Amino acid sequence: MNNIKIKSKNLNVYYGDKQALFDVNLDLNEKEVTALIGPSGCGKSTFIRCINRMNDVIDICKVTGNIEMDGMNINDKDLDVVSLRERVGMVFQKPNPFPKSIYDNISYGPKIHGKGETKSELDQIVENSLKKSALWEEVKDRLDEPGTSLSGGQQQRLCIARAISVNPEVILMDEPCSALDPIATAKIEELIDELKKTYTIVIVTHSMAQAVRVSQKTGFFHLGKLIEVGKTEKIFKNPDNKMTQDYITGRFG
Amino acid sequence: MSNEHTVKSYEEELQFLKDSLIKMGSLTESQLSDAMDAVIKVDKDSIDKIIKSDEEINKFRSKIDTQIMNLLVKRAPMAIDLRETISSLKISQDLERIGDLSKSNAKKVKPLPLDLPDELLGNLKRLGELVMKQLNDVLDSYVNKNFDKAKEVWEKDEQVDDLTYIAMESVIDFLSKDKKNLDFSTHLIFATKNLERAGDHITNIAETVCYLVKGEYLKGSRPKGKVIQD
Repeated sequence: MNNIKIKSKNLNVYYGDKQALFDVNLDLNEKEVTALIGPSGCGKSTFIRCINRMNDVIDICKVTGNIEMDGMNINDKDLDVVSLRERVGMVFQKPNPFPKSIYDNISYGPKIHGKGETKSELDQIVENSLKKSALWEEVKDRLDEPGTSLSGGQQQRLCIARAISVNPEVILMDEPCSALDPIATAKIEELIDELKKTYTIVIVTHSMAQAVRVSQKTGFFHLGKLIEVGKTEKIFKNPDNKMTQDYITGRFG
Repeated sequence: MSNEHTVKSYEEELQFLKDSLIKMGSLTESQLSDAMDAVIKVDKDSIDKIIKSDEEINKFRSKIDTQIMNLLVKRAPMAIDLRETISSLKISQDLERIGDLSKSNAKKVKPLPLDLPDELLGNLKRLGELVMKQLNDVLDSYVNKNFDKAKEVWEKDEQVDDLTYIAMESVIDFLSKDKKNLDFSTHLIFATKNLERAGDHITNIAETVCYLVKGEYLKGSRPKGKVIQD
């Protein structure tokens, strides 16, 4: 069993009067993939947005309870959110490259975080990030072209390369394949398998099959509550909770 | 929360699979019972009918195979549905093998003399009745998803082994009295062994039902009774 990288205890999230998460206790293991599943609006995205304080950008959002990374309180008011987000990267549902060149998409992060002072250092970071995200061979001869000129699947791998470029510890993926075709999806899944050797990964997905394929641990959310969490194999073969079973077998009314 | 699938046709396909398996089970039961009767009563007229009914069972097996393939490819079943699908595959294989063994027993009737002594057939009859009871119970446990009943069947296979031993001994006794008995006694020995093997397939089914219900395999090794050395 790997070490716990992220630990949430009695985590509650409110959007104004509406409570979106209820006392969530969830541990994420280091260098492992944790999949979060559940119907739309169940709180899985809200949960991962607590890990990099993305909820800060929503004025009416309030977070209570505890969430820690390596023992550090993520909710600490004095915490430098920029450095937190350097440690916790994120990839979204729709690929969202910057309207810049492929090269700039990746070098932007390291530059603002003060990594890669010289051109050759930046070149190295760009090349390594693209290699790690399995995109290098496809784009090495056209780094000056806009990131948006790539196909959807390539754009998503570019976004993963961008997340990797600042050398994070955790990567959050919010339905990273839902806009991709099966081949692009397979490439991302293959990539996740490779990335988990280095990073702690949390993936929100609506595809049960994807959760089974990529993750070691799965958490099922419903109406803001974490209903069941356990080894992925156990959750999909023989879950303890009836609600989990009803959801994964398609019996949810 | 409802227990039905949101997709109705998925629900129907799973139900259809269960129904097919239950029908196959009851066909296997009748065939086993008919084959047993044929041996005990040395009823040579029923042999063809029993052989024919085995073809029916085999047809069910391939029908169930197709249903399972379709379910896997169309629905990618999870959790209880996955266990239900995989269990049906395993159970139908065991039922088919029991069918083969019944057919084999029916074929053994042909060379038997009509005047076999009662004491020779008595033990074989008891064994046959126990195996039939076991098959009936295990199919009940499948229909009712009854873990305890399946486990009971699993434990009772020990008695099947013991009765096999006793039935074998009486055939061997009979055989040793007169060498003229050698030919058909051999057939009776095979028939006895076939029943014991049917019992093993029933034990397989019991294990599958336990897995289906609880999602975990029974722990420990199977209870074993007296065994005639092969």
